[in-house]
Amino acid sequence: MKILKKCPILVGIVVITIALSIVSLIFKDTVYAGYADKYESGDIPLLALAFKGAIDEVYPWSDIQQEALLPQDVQTDEAPESPSQQEEVTTEQQAQDIQSEPEEAVYISGNDVSGDSLSGNSVSGNSEDITYEFTEVDDDYFTDAVFIGDSRTVGLSEYCEPLDTRATFYAKISLTIFDVFKKEYIKTDEGKISLEEALTRNQFGKVYIMLGLNEIGTGDSEYFKAAYAEVIGKIRELQPDAIIYIQGIMHVTAHKSDADKNFNNEKINARNAAIAELADNKTIFYIDMNEAVDDENGNLEAGLSFDDVHLKASSYERWHEFLLHNAIVR
Amino acid sequence: MVNFSDLNFIFRFLPVFLVAFYLTPVRFRTWTLLFGSLLFYAVGDLRMFPALLAAVIVNFLFAKAQSGEKSKSMLFFILAIDAGMLIEFKILGQYVDSSLLPIGISFYIFKMISYQMDVYRGKFEQDASFVDVAAYFTMFPQVVSGPIMRFDRYLENPMLREKTSPGQIAESIEDGLRFFVAGLAMKVLLADHLAMLWRDIGTIGYESISTPLAWLGAVTYSLELYLDFWGYSLMASGIGVMIGFPFITNFDHPYGSGSISEFYRRWHATLGSWFKDYIYIPLGGSRKGQLRTVINLLVVWLITGFWHGITPNFIIWGLVLGFIIICERLFVLKKLPTPVSKFVGKVNVLVIIPLTWVVFAISDFDMLGCYFSRLFPFAGGGISVNRGDFLKNIGIYWSVLLPSLILLIPRVYDFWVNRRNRVLFNIAWIILFWTCIYSLAGAAGNPFLYFRF
Repeated sequence: MKILKKCPILVGIVVITIALSIVSLIFKDTVYAGYADKYESGDIPLLALAFKGAIDEVYPWSDIQQEALLPQDVQTDEAPESPSQQEEVTTEQQAQDIQSEPEEAVYISGNDVSGDSLSGNSVSGNSEDITYEFTEVDDDYFTDAVFIGDSRTVGLSEYCEPLDTRATFYAKISLTIFDVFKKEYIKTDEGKISLEEALTRNQFGKVYIMLGLNEIGTGDSEYFKAAYAEVIGKIRELQPDAIIYIQGIMHVTAHKSDADKNFNNEKINARNAAIAELADNKTIFYIDMNEAVDDENGNLEAGLSFDDVHLKASSYERWHEFLLHNAIVR
Repeated sequence: MVNFSDLNFIFRFLPVFLVAFYLTPVRFRTWTLLFGSLLFYAVGDLRMFPALLAAVIVNFLFAKAQSGEKSKSMLFFILAIDAGMLIEFKILGQYVDSSLLPIGISFYIFKMISYQMDVYRGKFEQDASFVDVAAYFTMFPQVVSGPIMRFDRYLENPMLREKTSPGQIAESIEDGLRFFVAGLAMKVLLADHLAMLWRDIGTIGYESISTPLAWLGAVTYSLELYLDFWGYSLMASGIGVMIGFPFITNFDHPYGSGSISEFYRRWHATLGSWFKDYIYIPLGGSRKGQLRTVINLLVVWLITGFWHGITPNFIIWGLVLGFIIICERLFVLKKLPTPVSKFVGKVNVLVIIPLTWVVFAISDFDMLGCYFSRLFPFAGGGISVNRGDFLKNIGIYWSVLLPSLILLIPRVYDFWVNRRNRVLFNIAWIILFWTCIYSLAGAAGNPFLYFRF
């Protein structure tokens, strides 16, 4: 008791540290398995597992099966080579599980567009024969468009007035293809609603998507493509008449690309190639705005960005111009 | 790990060190401090570890040689070696590769210079032992970013000299922990979040920010720098207290100052007093007439600029401050009637200081000019400015900006210091500590938390 009186803060910290360490130790291989590699590699102390879990809303009493499907737990690329092989195996299994599901449910793979493909079902039959070409449009084209994306699309809404005044933006910082339908992130007068609800309430003529940078450390290109296909499928259900634009992920600068094992243009290109295959060139199109912002080596032009990842406010005009010149008119 | 706000430091290095330190018999405790500190440094910067070791040994030997007859030429020689080493590594670090700049060199070299001059001035009665000198130079709470404690304060540590009761030890640890947690919270909960706003402003591009946002940016960066460094200093001093050293005040409510001269007596105070004692006064201070005073002040501020970094913006920053301080001394505080000079002094602290921090922050000249053209948009508007950007960012960051501004009021911190062992504060500090850990755990090993797109 004397020590408690003399050192209340120290005692408080030590007791809680021990308690959390014990909790972390007990659940290290079960609920906290997704974070254990960082402890085993010496990156973080044991008790940090409990905190990392809490941040992702994973608690000792959480249902492991359900939580394990969250993409945050995967992050295979991020883990150092050595630790926890077991974890990587489960991850791959998860990836395959998720991958196989949507492919059975909806056929939107661009390679084998066939009669029963999604586009064929939803759009009138005769559109199959028409080849569409990208043409130039004016800003009023975007009056019935919706943009779905992460912080880069947020930036487009904030610094491209012609688009912001006409189009709708369902964009949020750190949004990923995995949580775009999970989070309630769209602000309305009655509070935040999910993308599903927003796309049910409102019909659009064009849907522009640019997602994929935040989750670049998660899974591989195939895993990403599968998740993307699922999102496209759902949007198609909710917006049967809209033109869907899959936008290739914008590059980062050479400075970033050369130094980062995740956020580099090689990975971005691989993912762009994967999602480009989802286009059927009838109702779903792939466009890549990188040609408007790249330097001669295929990196984001250094002068267009301050932080190597986002366009500066004054550079969004290039993206806007690209969209004006690469539109589909039916 | 060399960062105090790192989980591995807080939960691994620090507790293990404290236990080892206090389990060591008093006679050998200084060795524990020395070995712990060397280990700490080696983990952080192994490649430049030999530079630290060499500097420690050479400085010890030169000081030892001064034990009898004092030799001025020998003093100049070792000062030249120390200063030369600092300058050389600064140039290497800036122009060749930043990893060539040894961690904490600006601080440990300044400690060494102060020690040499104090030995020469005969400040210490006894010759110090190698282990004391080495532990003083390298002690881990101060080796990375100060505070630049003097050797006489080092000698005040009872834990290294006499037998102390467990109660005394417990009290020291507890009190040090209070300051550590206060500093940790400033750094993790406030400064790191303010840094995000400052980075967001960069992301927009300075040419595209509205004038209100440009001013908010100047305030934000000023607050970030203050809370980051004040928080760091509280953590460092807190760890010092835990192992028996006196509390070293490095920040004494600088924004409560009435002039810029006063501001820099209270901002990074151990650096300011170092410049006063080892540069300004040896140059003659203010005793050799007005012209010499002006020159001495300019020299001090030019070196201060260089010490912070050798890019031109730091030199400009130092010279601008030197110029303002000279104006204050010769004109504002002397010639103007008191109410006016008080007013001008306050404006200088609250308006001019944030502007000088902008110069400090932006090393690229074109970008700096661009930022100032947004602060003072006489030449017209920027490119693609979103007029709503100020309110948007206030909406996001008010919960960080408000407590940061409140901490500028000296009474707030003093209120806590005077009542820091009350039960309510104890409970609050435990909660504060775990809030910081929660925030740190999210970022630990996860570069994505602070860098989300």
